[in-house]
Amino acid sequence: MLLKLISSLKLTVWLLVFSMVLVFFGTLDQVHFGIRATQQKYFESIIALWQYPLQWPLGESLHWLHFPIPGGYLIGPLLLVNLIAAHTTRFVLRWNKTGIFIIHLGLILLLLGQLSTQLFQEENYMWVEEGKSANYLESHHHDELIITDITGPKVDGVVSIPIDLIDKQPTSLQHPRLPFRVETKAFYPNAAIVQRSHLTKKSPEMIFNRGLGREKDFVVWERPMTYMQDERNVTTAIIELIGTEGSLGIWLVSNVFDENFPHQHFRYEERDYEIALRIKRTYLPYKIELIDFTHDRYMGTDIPKNFSSKVRIVNPQSSEDRQTLIYMNHPLRYKGRTFFQAAFDQQTEKSSMFQVVNNPGWLIPYISCGMITIGLIFQFGYRFMRSSGNKN
Amino acid sequence: MKKAITLSLILFGILYVGRSLIPPRYNQAIEVKQFAQLPLLYKGRLKPMDTTARNTLLIIHGKQTFKNELGKRISAIEWLMDLMMRSDVADHYKVFYASHPDILGLFNIPHEKAADFKFNFSFNELLPHLEEIERQAKLANPEAQLQTPYERSILKLRQDLVLYQQLTHSLTSPQYVSSLKEEYQVYLGLMPAGVRAFNQQQAGEDHNEDALNYFMNFAHRYQILSETAAFRIIPPRIGSPDSTDWQSTGQSLIETIMMGKIDEVVLAYAGVIDAYRSENHGDFNAALTDLQTLIDRRYNTGWNRFRSEYIFNYFSPFYLSLTIYVLVFILVCISWLVWPDTLGRAAYWLLILAFSVHTLGLLARIFIQGRPPVTNLYSSAVFVGWGAVLFSVILERIYRNGIGSAVAALLGFCTLLIAHHLGGSGDTLEMMQAVLDSNFWLATHVVTVTLGYSATFLAGFLGIIYICRGFLTKSLDNSTALAIYRMVYGTVCFALLFSFVGTVLGGIWADQSWGRFWGWDPKENGALLIVIWNALVIHAIWGKIVLQRGLMVLAVVGNIITSWSWFGTNMLGVGLHSYGFTNSAFFWLTLFWLNQFIFIAIGLLPHGYWRSQLGVSEK
Repeated sequence: MLLKLISSLKLTVWLLVFSMVLVFFGTLDQVHFGIRATQQKYFESIIALWQYPLQWPLGESLHWLHFPIPGGYLIGPLLLVNLIAAHTTRFVLRWNKTGIFIIHLGLILLLLGQLSTQLFQEENYMWVEEGKSANYLESHHHDELIITDITGPKVDGVVSIPIDLIDKQPTSLQHPRLPFRVETKAFYPNAAIVQRSHLTKKSPEMIFNRGLGREKDFVVWERPMTYMQDERNVTTAIIELIGTEGSLGIWLVSNVFDENFPHQHFRYEERDYEIALRIKRTYLPYKIELIDFTHDRYMGTDIPKNFSSKVRIVNPQSSEDRQTLIYMNHPLRYKGRTFFQAAFDQQTEKSSMFQVVNNPGWLIPYISCGMITIGLIFQFGYRFMRSSGNKN
Repeated sequence: MKKAITLSLILFGILYVGRSLIPPRYNQAIEVKQFAQLPLLYKGRLKPMDTTARNTLLIIHGKQTFKNELGKRISAIEWLMDLMMRSDVADHYKVFYASHPDILGLFNIPHEKAADFKFNFSFNELLPHLEEIERQAKLANPEAQLQTPYERSILKLRQDLVLYQQLTHSLTSPQYVSSLKEEYQVYLGLMPAGVRAFNQQQAGEDHNEDALNYFMNFAHRYQILSETAAFRIIPPRIGSPDSTDWQSTGQSLIETIMMGKIDEVVLAYAGVIDAYRSENHGDFNAALTDLQTLIDRRYNTGWNRFRSEYIFNYFSPFYLSLTIYVLVFILVCISWLVWPDTLGRAAYWLLILAFSVHTLGLLARIFIQGRPPVTNLYSSAVFVGWGAVLFSVILERIYRNGIGSAVAALLGFCTLLIAHHLGGSGDTLEMMQAVLDSNFWLATHVVTVTLGYSATFLAGFLGIIYICRGFLTKSLDNSTALAIYRMVYGTVCFALLFSFVGTVLGGIWADQSWGRFWGWDPKENGALLIVIWNALVIHAIWGKIVLQRGLMVLAVVGNIITSWSWFGTNMLGVGLHSYGFTNSAFFWLTLFWLNQFIFIAIGLLPHGYWRSQLGVSEK
C-alpha cells in the first residue's frame, strides 16, 4: 500500500506541482531579498515560510500572512524516491519504454549532480592590477581572523582562524602556534563602524583598548545582514588576547579595515604580531599576472562589446610560464579551477576581477542533460513514428 | 465556382503582398529614395537614413508618418530631411504628442482645443514652454518606479525634445546661411590667421584680436554641432587605421584645424544641403549622386546592405503577414459554418503565404544584423509567432481540419501584434551587450527556448479553441475533439523537448560564461517552470489523472506559465536577463492572465453547460 503510494504517478504530479510553487515563490522573493538569500531559504532548505511582502498592495495589513512551502531539500529527495520506486515496481524494460528509462536515469543523475554542486562547489574571486600578479583567491562571503608573527624576515607565521570558530560570544580559543588565547568579546555578522566625532548622538563606551579601534575612537553597532548581490556584510569582531600574565588588550577587527588602514600591530614577549579580520583567502601554488585589460565598446556608444584580460600564468611547480586571454564566454580552465572575466575597475580600467570556480561535479549536468535529451528525442520520435504509422 | 473563389482569394493575397514591394512614392520631385539609403552610424550600428527617420519619428510621434497642416501625409524620411536641412519648415510640423491634462494645463491650452489637433504639437508651439518643461522634468522623481503618470509624460516630452534637437544638429547647424559650401570655405580661409592668433594668445603674446574672434566664432559653432549631433555621417577616410571611426559633421569640421583641409564628404553634404534649401531639384540630385560616389569609395560592403534595409523597411513584412493572419482566421471561422473545403483550402494557402512573408522578414533581419533570429524581446515575439505557425502548419498538414490554420493565424496575429507594440521604443536591431555577444549560444539556446515557448503557447491556444468551440457551438463532435486531443498531446511532447533542451543549453552557456550551470536567476526559473509544467502534463495524461477536457484546461494554464516566463520574469528587475521592461506590459500581461482564467473556468464547467454534447466516453 505504502509502496504503491510512493511509486504512484499521482505523487509525481503533486511533487511537480509543489516544485513549481517552490520555484515560483523562490523567484518572487528575489525582488526583496536578493538571489543568494532566496536560494538558501527556498532551494537549500526543507521547508520555506513565505511571507506576504510589505511592498505589495495592502502589504501593511497582509504582512502577517505566512504559508509554508516544501523546500528543495524536501522535494528533491522525494522526487528521487518516487522515481526509483516507480521504476522498481511498475516499469518493465521494454523497447518502447527505453526512452523513458534513459530520461529518468538522466534525471536522477541531474538531481544528484545539483546536490553535489550545492555541497562542493567553491566560488571565489581574484582581483589583479595591470602589471601585477596575484596568487590567492578571495571568498565572496567568508572571512577569517589572521594573526601573523612578523618578527622574522620570512613571513611564515600566519595563523588563520575560520570565522565559525569565533562567531559565538564568549568563545575562548587556544591555537597551538600562538602563545596567547583568543577570546571573542563581541561578534557582528554585519556592522556599522563610525568615528565617534562623526556622530551627533551620544553613544556607549566601547570596550576595545588597543589598535585602530582606540586610535580612531570607533563606535560599532550591529546591522541586519544583507544578502543583496552587490553588497557584502561588514563582518566585525571585538577580540581579546590573553597571555599567561593576563590580558594583552582588546582589539576591534573588521573585514573593511584591510583596504583602508595599515595592519594592526602589537608586541608580545619580544616578538612582533599583526592581527586582522579579512576576507578569506585561498592560496594557489601558481600566480596569475595581468598584462593588459581591454574594454571595447560599439563605435560611437557606451554599449560594452567585449571585456578581455591578457594574463600570464606562472607555475613554478610545473615550470609553466605562458600567456592566455580570458574574455566573455571564454574562461580559462586551469588545474581544476575555472577563471571567468567577471568585473573590472570602472574608473581606471586598469584592474580586472575574475570569478574563480571550483566544481568537481561540473561535468555531471552535461552528461545527465545529454541523456535526457536523447531519451526525449527517442521516446517522442518513437511515438510520433508509431502514431503517424497508425494513421496511414 | 468554388474553385474560382479559392483561387481568387489566394490571388488577392498574392497581389496584396506584391503591392507592398512597390517602393513608396514621395511628395517631392527629388531623389528622396536615394537620400533615404545614405549610411549613418547611430547607437553603434550602421544603418540607412530611412531606418533612423522611421525609428525616431516613431519614438517622438508614435507613428511612422503624420499629416501636415494641408492634410498631406508626410513620410518619416521626408520629415527627417526637413528637420535636418530646413528646420524652419519642420518646426511647424505637429509631431510632438502630449495629452496629459496637467501638461495641457501647464501650457494653458484647453483640453478641447488640444483634442482638435489630436494632442499633437509642433516645435514652434512648444517653444514658449521649453524652460517650464525643463524645470518640471528636473522636479520629477528620478526613480522610474515611483514616477507619477504626469512625471513620466513630462520626462518623455523632454526626451523627445532633446532627440529632436540632436537630429537638427546632425547634418549641419540649423542656423541658415546662404551657402554652406561658402561658409566652409570662409572657415578654411580664416583658419591660418585664427590658429596663429590663438597660439599667440595662449603663449601670452600680442595677437590679432579680430582674426581670433572670427575664427573662434566658427570653431564654437562647430563645437556645439559636434556635441549635439545625434549620429555620425562621415565614413572614415581611406587608409584610416580605425575602420569603425565614423565622424559627425561637427567633429570633422573641428578636425579640419589639424588636417588643414575640409573632408570632401562634408563638402559633398554641403552641396546637397544647399540645393535642398534652394529647392533646386536638378542640383540636389546631382549633388546627391556625387555624395553617394564618395561614400561608396570609402565604405564599400560589397553588397548593398543599406538598400536591403531600405526595402525591408517599406515592405514591412511583419505588418503584412499580421494582416494576412487576420484574414486567414476569419476565413477558417467561416469555414466551420459554411463551405468547409473551399474556404479551408483558401485559408490554408493564404496561411502559407503569410508564413512565407513572415519567414522572409526573419531572414532579412538575420541578414541585415548578421545575428541569429532572437536578440531581444521584440525579436523573440516575432520568433515565438514564427515557431508556433510552423508547428501549426505541420499539424494542419497532418489533420486537415482547419484547426491548425486557425490556431496558426491566431498565434501569428497575437505575437506579431505584441512585437509591433514592443517595437515602438526605437531600433529593433540594436547592438548586443557584451555577455550576449555570442552567435553560437544565441543560435542554439535562445532559439530552442523560444521554440519551447512557441510549442507551449500552441498547445494552450489549441486548448482555447477546443473550449470555445465546445462551449459556444455545437460543432465540436467526438472525432474533432479527439483530433484536438492528439494535437495537444503531441505539441506538449515537443514543448517539453524544446524547453528542456533550450534550458539545458542555457545552463551550459552560463557554465561557460560564469562557471555555474544553474544560478536560480528569474529567467532561468521561468524556463524551468515551463519544463516542469510540460512534464507534469505528460505525467497527468499517463496517470489518467486528466482526460480530454482536463488536458485542455492544463494546456491553457501553460499559456499563463509561459507568458510569466517570457514577460513576467523581466518585470521583476533582478538577475541577468532583466531586459526590456515596460510599464504598460504589466497591464497587458494581467489582462491576458485574467482572460486565460476565464477560459479555464469555462473548461471546468460541468458538461451540461456546454453546447457541444461530447460522447460519454471522453477519451
